[in-house]
Amino acid sequence: MRWQKLGKIFDPTEHNLADGYSIFAKSPQALVFDNFVRIYFCAQKKTENGKYLSCPHYADFDKNLCHLRGLSSSPAISLGGLGHFDEHGIFPMNVLRLGDRILAFTTGWSRRISVSIEMGIGFAESFDGGATFSKYGQGGPIMPPTVKEPSLVGDAFVRFTDSTFHMWYIFGDKWLRASDDLEPDRFYRIAYAHSRNGLDWERDGHYIIEPKSQNECQALPTVFSVGGLHHMYFCYRDAFDFRKNRDKSYRLGYAYSHDGLRWIRDDGAAGIDVTLGAWDSDMACYPHVFECDGDHYLLYNGNEFGKYGFGAAKLLDL
Amino acid sequence: MIWEKHGVIFDPATISDRPSWMHGYAQAPNSIVFDDFVRVYFCCRPLPDARKQFVSYCAYVDLDRKDLRRIVGLAQEPILPLGALGTFDEFGTYPVSFARDGNDIIAIYGGWSRCESVPFNISLGYARSTDGGVTFEKLGPGPVLSHSPNEPFVVTSPKIRKFDGKWILAYTAGRKWFYDEKGVPEIIYKLRMAVSDDGIVWSRLDKDLIPDRIGEDEAQACPDILFANEKYHMFFCYRHGLDFRKNPARSYRVGYASSLDLVNWKRDDAQVELDVTPGSWDAEMIAYPNVLELDGRTYMFYGGNGNGKSGFGLAELRGGLPL
Repeated sequence: MRWQKLGKIFDPTEHNLADGYSIFAKSPQALVFDNFVRIYFCAQKKTENGKYLSCPHYADFDKNLCHLRGLSSSPAISLGGLGHFDEHGIFPMNVLRLGDRILAFTTGWSRRISVSIEMGIGFAESFDGGATFSKYGQGGPIMPPTVKEPSLVGDAFVRFTDSTFHMWYIFGDKWLRASDDLEPDRFYRIAYAHSRNGLDWERDGHYIIEPKSQNECQALPTVFSVGGLHHMYFCYRDAFDFRKNRDKSYRLGYAYSHDGLRWIRDDGAAGIDVTLGAWDSDMACYPHVFECDGDHYLLYNGNEFGKYGFGAAKLLDL
Repeated sequence: MIWEKHGVIFDPATISDRPSWMHGYAQAPNSIVFDDFVRVYFCCRPLPDARKQFVSYCAYVDLDRKDLRRIVGLAQEPILPLGALGTFDEFGTYPVSFARDGNDIIAIYGGWSRCESVPFNISLGYARSTDGGVTFEKLGPGPVLSHSPNEPFVVTSPKIRKFDGKWILAYTAGRKWFYDEKGVPEIIYKLRMAVSDDGIVWSRLDKDLIPDRIGEDEAQACPDILFANEKYHMFFCYRHGLDFRKNPARSYRVGYASSLDLVNWKRDDAQVELDVTPGSWDAEMIAYPNVLELDGRTYMFYGGNGNGKSGFGLAELRGGLPL
């Protein structure tokens, strides 16, 4: 793969986002319209107890991703009510155009006591062309933990092919501690599920991407098909000390597959890495690949998990 | 149905040399009948931690089959361990329901995790005993029935039964959390059902089993179903949404519904003549019923004051179940 970096294309600190969400633009994910590209991203705001809420917004761009056309006037979806799985955040949100429908697969966050958070995957649909999304049913998750996937189910990326919904997502099978006096650290890796209706999913509790180290965490899979192969980008990091230590923070990983089920990891072929001295010098994370007018683009976050926005790259050749 | 009370049967606090994990409470009794005794599982607690938080373990007491007021055995260890860090059952296994499956006994149990904005969340786990119900092994680290679009949180109070070759799980699911006048979160939950071929993969009915009788903030729990006289009988408990902890008139009572098909239920609480006894161990509430037919009689185990804080007791039905 060879990618041409287009640089950072959106910085949330240069704009007034809706509803007091003032920082971060994490996990950019695209929905292509006839004349523009809508990029959903998750912004954060601080709450009374010093913790953050995360919620999807969007920015509309010209189709070359160079010119920003406008911003959402409200969050694209509301957070869940008291006790709901998405009470304390929705991050990320994967949007899927399916005929004349626009569906969303959300990752809801709720805070815990012994560990920091729990996550689950929710389902929503837009009835106003992708501006706002309504949650399905009473707003509970479509993918909570299961007997083999006990925690941190999230980061859904969904495609619809061959009359089947395919989902790549993550779950955690343990919480880790670097040492007894430190807070537990979350752990997750990439898995696969499929569904006939987008609501009821078959999954088997197996991780599908070979890790490079024992406690490697993997997140945000994104899949596209070109040149007779399926390609997956994702991000990976060390389980510990990944927030401040450049050597342990997120990088982009890559895998390919002939059948969409068995994946061969080949990070060396990713064709994109951090750039010294740039906005993505220390970290590259939350990738999202989409096709627009025959070209493939990669959206991703750079340093500090997208605190200062997201950037893009254009696929030059395979 | 007139129920005659036999009084409190078991309260851990009456045992001087009890283990620390069984310091108090005997909540949510559920029975399994053996040749010579009836094993009644209950959920108990050690003393609370420094933050006044409890955990809950499941144990059992064996009662003489010929005289259910006579204790003939007591669990030496919890039947299930608590879950690992961050898992759904890290802080409690309560309530726990049991059914025989060939030579084994299976359990469906509520696993408790602690949350920041509300005190807890609950999903249902699965475990199996191959030693006659003394110890159980969990199927895995996660739940078999967790939350769903229309059951967004707190899936608990399970009752596992097998009817016509199908596993039937009646349970309760959270409808809403809301704040009381002091800003403390309280929860409303409604009776729900799921069916399964293997007890592990469940298909939800996705509807409330019974209508509310005391308003939409009625909380319903513990739907215990048995089949007799060619129909299904369900005993459950219900309470008001607020002011139910200290006000006996608003606390748990036992309700009743009947059905021919397990799906459509006719609620008729007036059938149950069983109320609190002022001044007694069950002066506040009749909670978490378990009904069984045994040797030609029909019994109900239930929790009293503090939802089992004063132990569980026994009532006996005069005559049989309704035709």
